[in-house]
Amino acid sequence: MVVSRPPTEEELVERAKRGDEDAYEELVRAHQGIAFRTAYLVAGNAADAEDAAQEGFVKAYRALGRFRAGSPFRPWLLQIVANEARNRRRSAGRRAALALRAAAEETSGGAAPSPEGALLGAEERNRLLAALNALREEERLVISCRYLLELSEEETAAALGVRRGTVKSRTSRALARLRVELGDSDA
Amino acid sequence: MPELESRLRELGRHVEFPPTPDLAPAVRSRLGKRRSWRRPAAIAIAVVVVALGAVLAVPPARTAILEWLGIGGVKIVRVEELPPAPAIGNLDLGRSVTPAEAHRRAPWLLEPADRPDAIYLSASIPGGKVSLLWGTPERVRLLLTEFRGEAFLEKLIQPQTKVELVEIDGNRGAWLEDNHVLIYRDRDGLTREDTARLVGRTLLWQRGDVTLRLEGKISKKQALRIARSAR
Repeated sequence: MVVSRPPTEEELVERAKRGDEDAYEELVRAHQGIAFRTAYLVAGNAADAEDAAQEGFVKAYRALGRFRAGSPFRPWLLQIVANEARNRRRSAGRRAALALRAAAEETSGGAAPSPEGALLGAEERNRLLAALNALREEERLVISCRYLLELSEEETAAALGVRRGTVKSRTSRALARLRVELGDSDA
Repeated sequence: MPELESRLRELGRHVEFPPTPDLAPAVRSRLGKRRSWRRPAAIAIAVVVVALGAVLAVPPARTAILEWLGIGGVKIVRVEELPPAPAIGNLDLGRSVTPAEAHRRAPWLLEPADRPDAIYLSASIPGGKVSLLWGTPERVRLLLTEFRGEAFLEKLIQPQTKVELVEIDGNRGAWLEDNHVLIYRDRDGLTREDTARLVGRTLLWQRGDVTLRLEGKISKKQALRIARSAR
């Protein structure tokens, strides 16, 4: 019996390499959320982020011939998208750093809270955000990528255009600073 | 108190990110530009079919067709005699638009590295026509016209006109050095003559399903450099 299953990412990449635009569209839909958010963190505004993500996806498609078969697609893509985002930020001059904000609170009768949903009260969240926003930009970026977007070390390194060792050291430095800022004793 | 790392992860679910726009349609529309030049076989056949109708519609003075050549949505036809020159200076380019509007209306638009002085949008061809102009409409230095492959144009050239085949990023193009007349079908399917008749040096090429025509006082080398910089 033949069981049809959705194609794996590796299969989609292989098909896209051979010029299958439907396959590439599936990859775009699968990764546009993380690509846009990463670009937003780096570029600092939604318009540049959209532009950078779109350009990044087009450039990635044209560069598929250089993509190493079997390696993960996401870090490779994020590197291209984040590079576009950085170029836009640079050409726009040094803008004020992006200030992260908490989303408007859902009414209490809304969606069921996530398993971890009860861990952080609104007040605690705001304290954490303020501390995060107070970090130096390179540290805020590394924390945002690693924890807010939950990128892997490899993906964060690709997105920020730095080595993996730099991601490690920057992350631990930033976490230490946050702990001091928040008065945590578990440092 | 949970670990700082897990609190940060949870914070990620509460941080406000702008909603992710659907990028797929815009990305998709740009994919074919470099790779789809394997498709023109189908377009070429369509052009030949349409061409028969159009050539028959050309007035008798030009009916002696010596040879022809198809580049994208354009057919170059060598005839014994060109029709009388239309009035010069009556360049119907359409409406002047900002680069942003041009890209919005014609997402397939390709722009050379040297930015034009003005961009015009015209609905005279099905699918739209974009003209990039260097100089002023009164004194045109260079004009780049772009349209999509489903449009059909016919270029009439004289027996002495030199046509040279060139290659631009793997796509076929033609370099013409002499006067020519451009005939096109308008939105209603009527055959019309282009009122523009510039100096007579033209580079014609295609990129994906976009056909491009560069005209002006330039050398072949300059024209190829501009064409290869178009993105």
